[in-house]
Amino acid sequence: MNRAHHPGRAEKFQASEMNRSFSNKSQSLRSLNMNAVEVKSKYGAEFRRFSVDRLKPGKFEEFYKLIMTIHRIANMEVMIGYADVHGDLLPINNDENFCKAVTTAHPLLRLFIQRQEEVDYSNFGTSTLTRKKKAVVTLRNDLNRKRPHIRIGMPQDFRPVSSIIDVDILPESHRRVRLYRHGSDKPLGFYIRDGTSVRVTPHGLEKVPGIFISRLVPGGLAESTGLLAVNDEVLEVNGIEVTGKTLDQVTDMMIANSHNLIVTVKPVNQRNNVVRSSRISGSSGQSSDSSGSVGYPAITGATAISHGYSPEDLESDEESDIVIESNIKRPSRRSNASVASTASRSQTQTTAVTPPSPPTRPQTRPPSTVSTASFHSQPSFNGTVHNSLSYKLHKDLTLQNNPYHSSNPVMRDSNGSLHKILSSLRTDPRHSLALPRGGVEEDGTVITL
Amino acid sequence: MMKFRFRRQGNDPHREKIKQDLFAFNKTVEHGFPNQPSALAYDPKLQLMAIGTKSGAIKLYGAPGVEMTGLHKDTAAVTQIHFLYGQGRILSLLDDNTIHLWEIVQRENRSHLIEVHSFNLPGRPGIESTSATRVTVMLLNLGCDLLALGTEGGGVHFLELPTLTLLNKSLFQDEVMQSVPEEYKCGKSLGPVESLQEHPKDSDKILIGYSRGLVVLWDLNSRHVDNLFLGKQQLESLVWERSGNSFVSSHSDGGYMVWAVSSSNPCTHDPISSTIPYGPFPCKAVNKILWRTTESGAPLVLFSGGMPRASYGDRHCLTILQDSSHVTLDFTSRVIDFFTIHCTDRDKEFDEPSALVVLLEEELVVIDLQMSGWPTVPAPYLAPLHSSAITFSSHISNVPPKFWERMISAGQQQCPLQNYDNWPICGGKNLAPDPKQKELLLTGHEDGTVRFWDASGVSLKPLYKLSTANIFQTDCDHNDSLTQAGEEEWPPFRKVGCFDPYSDDPRLGIQKISLCKYSGKLVVAGTAGQVIVMVLSDEKSDHMIDVATVDLLQDREGFTWKGHDRLPPKMGPVVFAPGFQPVVLVQCMPPAAVTAVTLHAEWNLIAFGTSHGFGLFDYHRRSPVLARCTLHPNDSLAMEGPLSRVKSLKKSLRQSFRRIRKSRVSGKKRAVVNSPTGKVREANAQLAERDAEVTPVQRRIEPRSADDSLSGVVRCLCFADTFLRDGTHHGPTMWAGTNSGSVYAYALDVPSLEKFSEQSVEALLGKEIQLMHRAPVVSIAVLDGRGTPLPEPYEVSRDLAKAPDMQGSHSVLIASEEQFKIFTLPKVSAKTKFKLTAHEGCRVRKVALSNFTSVSSEEYSENALVCLTNLGDLHVFSVPALRPQVRYDCIRKEDISGIASCVFTKTGQGFYLISPSEYERFSLSARVITEPLCRMDVERPHDLSAHSSSTTLPPQANGTHKTQAESNSVETEDLLEEMRSALSSPVLDSPNSSADITLDTTGDLTVEDVKDFLMTVDEAENNFRNITEEDGRPPGILIN
Repeated sequence: MNRAHHPGRAEKFQASEMNRSFSNKSQSLRSLNMNAVEVKSKYGAEFRRFSVDRLKPGKFEEFYKLIMTIHRIANMEVMIGYADVHGDLLPINNDENFCKAVTTAHPLLRLFIQRQEEVDYSNFGTSTLTRKKKAVVTLRNDLNRKRPHIRIGMPQDFRPVSSIIDVDILPESHRRVRLYRHGSDKPLGFYIRDGTSVRVTPHGLEKVPGIFISRLVPGGLAESTGLLAVNDEVLEVNGIEVTGKTLDQVTDMMIANSHNLIVTVKPVNQRNNVVRSSRISGSSGQSSDSSGSVGYPAITGATAISHGYSPEDLESDEESDIVIESNIKRPSRRSNASVASTASRSQTQTTAVTPPSPPTRPQTRPPSTVSTASFHSQPSFNGTVHNSLSYKLHKDLTLQNNPYHSSNPVMRDSNGSLHKILSSLRTDPRHSLALPRGGVEEDGTVITL
Repeated sequence: MMKFRFRRQGNDPHREKIKQDLFAFNKTVEHGFPNQPSALAYDPKLQLMAIGTKSGAIKLYGAPGVEMTGLHKDTAAVTQIHFLYGQGRILSLLDDNTIHLWEIVQRENRSHLIEVHSFNLPGRPGIESTSATRVTVMLLNLGCDLLALGTEGGGVHFLELPTLTLLNKSLFQDEVMQSVPEEYKCGKSLGPVESLQEHPKDSDKILIGYSRGLVVLWDLNSRHVDNLFLGKQQLESLVWERSGNSFVSSHSDGGYMVWAVSSSNPCTHDPISSTIPYGPFPCKAVNKILWRTTESGAPLVLFSGGMPRASYGDRHCLTILQDSSHVTLDFTSRVIDFFTIHCTDRDKEFDEPSALVVLLEEELVVIDLQMSGWPTVPAPYLAPLHSSAITFSSHISNVPPKFWERMISAGQQQCPLQNYDNWPICGGKNLAPDPKQKELLLTGHEDGTVRFWDASGVSLKPLYKLSTANIFQTDCDHNDSLTQAGEEEWPPFRKVGCFDPYSDDPRLGIQKISLCKYSGKLVVAGTAGQVIVMVLSDEKSDHMIDVATVDLLQDREGFTWKGHDRLPPKMGPVVFAPGFQPVVLVQCMPPAAVTAVTLHAEWNLIAFGTSHGFGLFDYHRRSPVLARCTLHPNDSLAMEGPLSRVKSLKKSLRQSFRRIRKSRVSGKKRAVVNSPTGKVREANAQLAERDAEVTPVQRRIEPRSADDSLSGVVRCLCFADTFLRDGTHHGPTMWAGTNSGSVYAYALDVPSLEKFSEQSVEALLGKEIQLMHRAPVVSIAVLDGRGTPLPEPYEVSRDLAKAPDMQGSHSVLIASEEQFKIFTLPKVSAKTKFKLTAHEGCRVRKVALSNFTSVSSEEYSENALVCLTNLGDLHVFSVPALRPQVRYDCIRKEDISGIASCVFTKTGQGFYLISPSEYERFSLSARVITEPLCRMDVERPHDLSAHSSSTTLPPQANGTHKTQAESNSVETEDLLEEMRSALSSPVLDSPNSSADITLDTTGDLTVEDVKDFLMTVDEAENNFRNITEEDGRPPGILIN
């Protein structure tokens, strides 16, 4: 649901790429020769015809841009599909499948443009375009009915949920996992416990207290990533070693970092480790949970843990606090009836004190703006994400007179509760699509056939 | 230690020097009454009193300001204390049967109490039982060179003083038995020695009382029985009559007997008289009896206990009897011990007692025995802070003298006897300079009282007591029924002491206090949502209180309050004595406990918050300005009050399970294994053990969500004159922070002074800030353009503080449980922050902005953010840069009530409760330190202290800080060795022995430093090197 901001970032990136590379690439599109592939593009009921070079089809982004221009749908999110030789509808959304589409186009390349929100993903890969192979189609459709397709979005819709990081500097028996909770409504979903881990030292086995993952909440983020498992020993939280810290301290550290949690664990199951032959690895501070096996005695690598973090990494989890600013006029001396009545003299039970909060109807609500207070000076991944988030928030609240927004029941609530605004942010997927696309209107290097 | 960690970042020696001049951590003094006292002693020559506690502390008190503390190495209860009269030496007997000798030594021109020697009575050869050699009583002879020990086995042993060497002249029961007539023996033992008393005239004779009732006058020189007194009642205590012609014994049946001593009759069968004062029905034992002669006639008899078992067996009483005068002092807690202050001059004929000092479990009571009616004397120290449980404390520094005087005069009208001139215990000299400024400590109590204490100096003196109960109709209006009924009653009880832990109504409990020291206005908020505005008045008044109700729910639906009712205010006018008199009572609906309150006397505004919301009230016009609900729609728990059944059941279940779990863990004793193979075996054993355990302790990792219960609790409120609307116009603002990380900022429109009566105050919501980590907001403060905190109301208008910088841009400091953040104003954007929890794993419990002045120059001072975490450590951060400066361990992390009670002063000091009755005062500032500075001049024949002065027990040591003592144990073993050798060699040095010098050179390394070393293993090596290089001496060793 909540992929509100990630696409924003992807698109910005795209747009800038385009600005840089479009003009020179378009030269090649213009030069017509024998390798031209005829393209028939359909958007709604409209057709456009043009051609592309079969041998040098160019980049997808340019092609996408071209399509937008040709169809005059510049400010729209669209999905480009094509019919392959078998009549299946396949998407064009990157350089590879664009290239493939152009090179395999038999007589002509048939394109189908759909608005992003209207795309029916289940149609992809099926031969909905051809009526000839009906038998096959029905068969497939049957299959589809039984086992519905997993809906896979386009790359720009992807959002990171978890990642394994710093594999190159960590000993292979350790794993550094990053859990992104941004925009996810799933809980982190795991429990930790105290335990003892046995470390192999030059003096023999030594028992030290350690922190272990004790339970994964079914359906939680931790479980669904598959990167953490019960009885994994937690070694670090966001670059800070947990040695010497109590269970409660580690809990607090994890919760404080929950927006961008980076935990270094020693997985209890060491069988899945990638064996890297390039270096003699392992760690001197070998440890294992008491219930796990004792093993992997090795010499080096332990130092890598403590130096694995660059300061940017530590600072990258900037979370931005939301500030709602009401535009305060110099308060006029309004005679609020209820206040006046209660102001008479005490004794009277003043049951309802009207707060001078904005009145209930959106039309009269004083314009308010929302901005996020984040550290703009530090360019960071999440920072940008939040800027876009804040931008949206800003937009939402400033464009309140727009009928669409004022019809939003959440926004109409005069109480203006932060909780509500936050929850509306999380739950309204449309916000993710309402981003402006800058720099789309380029000068026309359009080839029309 | 943090110090080292930060040294890596900013390796600036200049800054380090400044930091050293600004910050230093010291636990300076303990205010209040020692927790669980167990022993009492008095030295009439030095006029010093000693109190021993169950945690092994010895505290000495003399004249006000003269205080010394010593702490035994082992946590064992101090069962007895005896002074070596005039020598400044103390003998203590612990629960573990060890005897310790303490001395008052002069160091750095002030006195300290240090332990110099200890002794453990060896078992009798051949007899395994340790109980036989358990010391029951101790007797110091008047010459102070001999110590007699009575034991459980009935033996009496003799030690030479002050060396504590056992003399080979022990007296065992069989020796006494030889002189006892056959018919008395009847084959039974005499029982433990119950009392040892030296003959007042003949120091060679001691009176030995055995539990069975036999009393023997024993001649030490000739080693034979002088007199036998064949008592048949179980003996409790003995006391000589001054002349030595008779003595008094008290017994377990509640009676006492007077025996005549005559050389002619070696075997006395019957006493002169035998009385059971509270008979004839069975009575409880008379635990201790004193017999004091007076010149005027009848002797004064003082005894504890002896009450009729059936009717008054549960009372804690002490009886004073003289002729027909009879008073039964009725205390609210157990009598530990008592003594009289009387003439000890041997040449005088009479005792002439002047005062009776009674140590109770919860307070100290002193009775003037010279004045008729035996009135109580108020004590200048040992104030029973906990007479009702402390629920809130607050500190006000630099109190204006005028306000101070008015408060004192109000207090004196409450309790006229408030001068301490006739305080009988007045030994020692207080060297501490008079405090430069007056400091006030306010404590809120469970019974609805607020007590004002003078916290300027070492001893905490009561100034004024304010009760809020009298403006409400409570169930039990106690109109002194006890004193009225007492006239005809037998025994003639008299209620003495102020310890009264029973609250009439829990709703009266004080939750928050806010005082304006310039205007004398006070806001007191309580458990049932009551917020009372009071004004200090010098006149008696009889007026009605205005009552207003503020609905904090603001028409939220679906909530029903299941908690307690609000307190019904009294109808009609109420009489108020001079002092703080209530003006307005604001009652929050629902009547949940008030969680935050603040006052701005200049604007005539108060703000208050509960778990449901917050309100703003104009107490001048008696009108509510604002009410705002902070409840989250999903938060249903908040609506059930504290008395909810569902919640309490859940809670109690949880607690009982925790208890079981805890006992299981602590029950496992693990042997220390040193060999590596043993370690492995132990590890394996533990693995097996752990598999057997069903559920280990685990914690859920779940970010805070908006619908956590009690998210709407208002945690802090603050008023500030700052820029909220725009960057050019500043004006009054109010800020509120909640448990779920929301901050609400309101712009207030406060009419000018002349128009106050006509115009109403208005509030407009200016900003709402939601901290993304949703941690509870602990504190909010506004900083001016120079980054200094805004001054208090009236400070600028009365020229008491520098006006804040209104040119530069202001900023707001928001401290949440997890991090500190500074936002610019009026556009709220984050400027600086420090993420404490994310880095350290600890949570912020208390914060305050303090001003630290450098020791090297009074001109230089810095503002700093002081923070106490849930781990009990103190952090200091620079403001507004939020750079960590120093970190100290202060409170044990298990001591939750200690952490919760901590309060900081504006000058870098602080207080926290180390027991329900004691505040520990600490200082973070290197300059502002309030500690006992006293001198006790003593003369000793054999001075041991020259050798043992290397025993560097911290002078502030106390029962609650056991860790220090424990970590000392390794060194102390060496110490003992050293001391033994020192004692065996007769060479005595001058007081300026080499040991003193080594102490100085060890510098400021404390045990905590050493401990921190061991903790951070990876840094330990570096640190070690640092220290050895810098200081050129091995770290962590206190005694070389």
